Amino acid sequence: MCNCDNTYIPIPMKVEKIVIDNPDRSLRTYDLSFVNEEDENKFKYMPGQFCEFSILGKGESPFGIASSPTEEGLKFTVSRTGSVTNEIHYLEEGDIVGIRGPMGNWYPLEKLKGQDVVIVGGGFAFTTLRSMIVYMLENRDDYGKITVIYGARHPDLFIYKEELKIWDKRDDIILHLTVDKPVKGWDKLCGFVPAITKDVKPDPTSWCIVCGPPIMIKFTLPVLLEIGFAHDKIYTSLERRMKCGIGKCGRCGIGSKYVCIDGPVFSYEELKKIPDAF
Amino acid sequence: MVKIKKTELNEFIEFLMKDYDVYSPADVGKKAAFKKIKSAFEIKHAITNTHLSPKDVFFPQSEVLFQYSDDGLKVPKREEKAIAVWGMRNCDTSSLLMLNKVFGDAHQMPDKDMYKDPYWKMKYDNCLIFNQACNEPLSTCFCNWFEGNPFAKKGADIFVVDTGDHFILEGISDKGKTFLSKYKAGEETTKVDLNKIAKLKETAESYLPDVVDIKPLFNKMNKIWDEPIWEEISAKCINCGACTFVCPTCHCFDVSDEGKGKKGQRIRLWDSCMFQIFTREASGHNPRGLSTQRVRQRIMHKYNYFMDNYEQYLCTGCGRCVQVCPVNLDIREVIKKVLDYKLSKNEEI
Amino acid sequence: MQQLVKKVKEIIKNKEVDVVIGWGRGSLPFSATPIFVETEKDVEKLIFDETCRNNLTTYLTKDKRRISKEYKKIGIIVKGCDSRSVVLYTVENQIKRENVVLIGVPCNGVFEKKKLSQLVEGKEILDFQIDVDNIIIKGRNFEQTHPLKDALCDPCLTCQYPDAPEYDYFIGTPRKDVNVPDAYKMINDFGEKSAEERWAYIQEEYSKCIRCYACRNICPSCYCPECFVDQNDPQWIGKTPEVTDSIIFHLIRNLHVAGRCVDCGACVSACPVDLDLRIMSKKVEKEIKERFDYTAGTDINEKPAMASYCENEKQDFIMG
Repeated sequence: MCNCDNTYIPIPMKVEKIVIDNPDRSLRTYDLSFVNEEDENKFKYMPGQFCEFSILGKGESPFGIASSPTEEGLKFTVSRTGSVTNEIHYLEEGDIVGIRGPMGNWYPLEKLKGQDVVIVGGGFAFTTLRSMIVYMLENRDDYGKITVIYGARHPDLFIYKEELKIWDKRDDIILHLTVDKPVKGWDKLCGFVPAITKDVKPDPTSWCIVCGPPIMIKFTLPVLLEIGFAHDKIYTSLERRMKCGIGKCGRCGIGSKYVCIDGPVFSYEELKKIPDAF
Repeated sequence: MVKIKKTELNEFIEFLMKDYDVYSPADVGKKAAFKKIKSAFEIKHAITNTHLSPKDVFFPQSEVLFQYSDDGLKVPKREEKAIAVWGMRNCDTSSLLMLNKVFGDAHQMPDKDMYKDPYWKMKYDNCLIFNQACNEPLSTCFCNWFEGNPFAKKGADIFVVDTGDHFILEGISDKGKTFLSKYKAGEETTKVDLNKIAKLKETAESYLPDVVDIKPLFNKMNKIWDEPIWEEISAKCINCGACTFVCPTCHCFDVSDEGKGKKGQRIRLWDSCMFQIFTREASGHNPRGLSTQRVRQRIMHKYNYFMDNYEQYLCTGCGRCVQVCPVNLDIREVIKKVLDYKLSKNEEI
Repeated sequence: MQQLVKKVKEIIKNKEVDVVIGWGRGSLPFSATPIFVETEKDVEKLIFDETCRNNLTTYLTKDKRRISKEYKKIGIIVKGCDSRSVVLYTVENQIKRENVVLIGVPCNGVFEKKKLSQLVEGKEILDFQIDVDNIIIKGRNFEQTHPLKDALCDPCLTCQYPDAPEYDYFIGTPRKDVNVPDAYKMINDFGEKSAEERWAYIQEEYSKCIRCYACRNICPSCYCPECFVDQNDPQWIGKTPEVTDSIIFHLIRNLHVAGRCVDCGACVSACPVDLDLRIMSKKVEKEIKERFDYTAGTDINEKPAMASYCENEKQDFIMG
């Protein structure tokens, strides 16, 4: 049996760079490079897709790909919450890890061409949104106005802070950063993402991508609907405990869909038909 | 058709073993289950269904995906011989067809090989299924609700009838016909044998329960998601995994690593949607934290979601879950309850 | 039965309880099923006989998030062993005694479906009838008569507490004096065997385990919100059905219920592969009895054996 047909076999990747994203060190971003050239050539992905990050002996966890296909290698941001992520945090630069993917579908970048795009994100779920933003900025002429609303509990908890600073200075992307509560030294917005979205009131003829903790999505969707966004123009990415990533193991089932193969990206039009999606 | 004296079955099984690893119902402790046999004398000619389903033959409860060490990853290979399963009842044969839709055909994702399961395929592809007529269905059997029949041949390579002193074998698939044509030691069947088979079939069918029309089940399920009926159904469930583990169609699994230091293996293990930890995420969030939600998931998966994806119900009416449930949560009663349920919101079906 | 129905109707009518957990007729011969009675109308569904196998008290502690409904005051019908579970919950501070209303019923032992099945060599049983000390078992083409005691659960045969030690109402007449044969005979007999024989038996028996956790989930004494088996950081034991993993699971579970097992036999009945689970649990029970003179769930004022210390306890296992 050839390994290349076996989806359960991870490909080796090397940890090139580790960035600690916040002062309590619970969030780290990993830049990985392909060990084998043939793996690299085969690995074609789009913003929104995810991978199973594998630590032999500990297991696998699914993470959205934070890098853009326009960049080299892969980028993942990992929050320390369970046994696998704990082990990932022990990794050092130069270590070899296993990656399976890319899995799932992606943001509707084809449909977004020529359109204005609103991106609403929260916390460290900003990963695939970063992928998407980098991709759109790299192909800037293909897209209309790009508006980003990004919230975190505290200024420290934003990820990709350096890039946020750069984007903030650009004039072809509008960035609204917000924190839950006022913090000394924070001169940007203050308030929860749904409320800020209401204030920003993005143009309802544009397309909207929402990604964040379930509770944020739950309260942001009604705001978008109220503003007048079309149901099939709102997209979100769901999180579930995907294990196999190929629609078999049953963990990520929501209704008759599997998040790992039918998602993780769903339009609101699809989601409203699925019971208990979030 | 080939007729084999029961006393000469071993010769046939030995002939079969030349090309195949043979699995058959056999005693495992006090219970009967499918296991690899070395001779026909191990075969348990049970009049009833086996306690554990044969899914274990193709989708083992625990299976090594690969071994890892300093030398890299090693994927286990199957021995040369293909698998033959003797003594499967049609409820189980049908279940393999369902599982093959999930693991083998990657039905939802037809173009991509990555969605096919290599571990399933290396066992299931080229297997030879002996589907044995079920002469005496149990009181817990309800295959006829799912268009099943104790004498159905669907999914069989070779159809077998136990007529008392003889087994009568009939090639169904090309693979089965070719194999049978190679076996020269059998006797010719006569009209008497055919009459006997017809009689046995009639008797077997008389044991089946009244057919319940389950066609409306799918639509009904679509409408009762939020109804209190689920609390009523699930109140007594203790969330063990007995039903899902004996079920020939349940196929949820977990992937887990076992090892020490740099050496070990990645395995997959049966898992159950009944378990509280099945969907619990590292953050503590659990999309199916309530027992009610988990029971609903199991029932909906069988009688709604699978239909949505594969155009059939994920149940063959084998009745095993009915037999083992420690609190007598009888899935037949659940089906009837759902069909009879009057919607509280005055929604018309 | 009529008395039982009358009593339950009364306490539901008086709003003494929100629900009564009892047994109703099951869908299979020899089966009763747990029912949750909330209305006077549903009271008629209650039964009590030899098929009422389950220890219903398990619903008092199990996974508080089972269903969205929360009952404040629960009535529950109890046999002797079931009542002992309630005593256990009380001394372990899992429930407040005043929040449950116990309705004791006189128990003459309950059927073990698996033993019945063995009596008729695995043939399917469709009906039965009790004739004084005998049971007539009927199937498609057979009818057999066996002594009634051969059909009863093993724990029932050596039960010293057929009458609920703790109850609010008692229906019928308590059995009082029970003549109990040596409860630990099976353990002593097993102990007579050589270590190799015992190990071989345990290995063969537990190699059949399919890790469905029916034993744990049905067990009234197993009420941890998160079982050690389910923890993954650290992961204490392997989850495979390999015999070593299975034996460790059962060994640890038995240690966790040491001095807490009321020998209701629910695990034995629940096991889909018929494991001899009592060979472990009864041994632990015997040790607790001999060392600490403690029997779980018999005295609501006594501290649990594993949560108290007496100076005169046997300590040979430490001191050698």
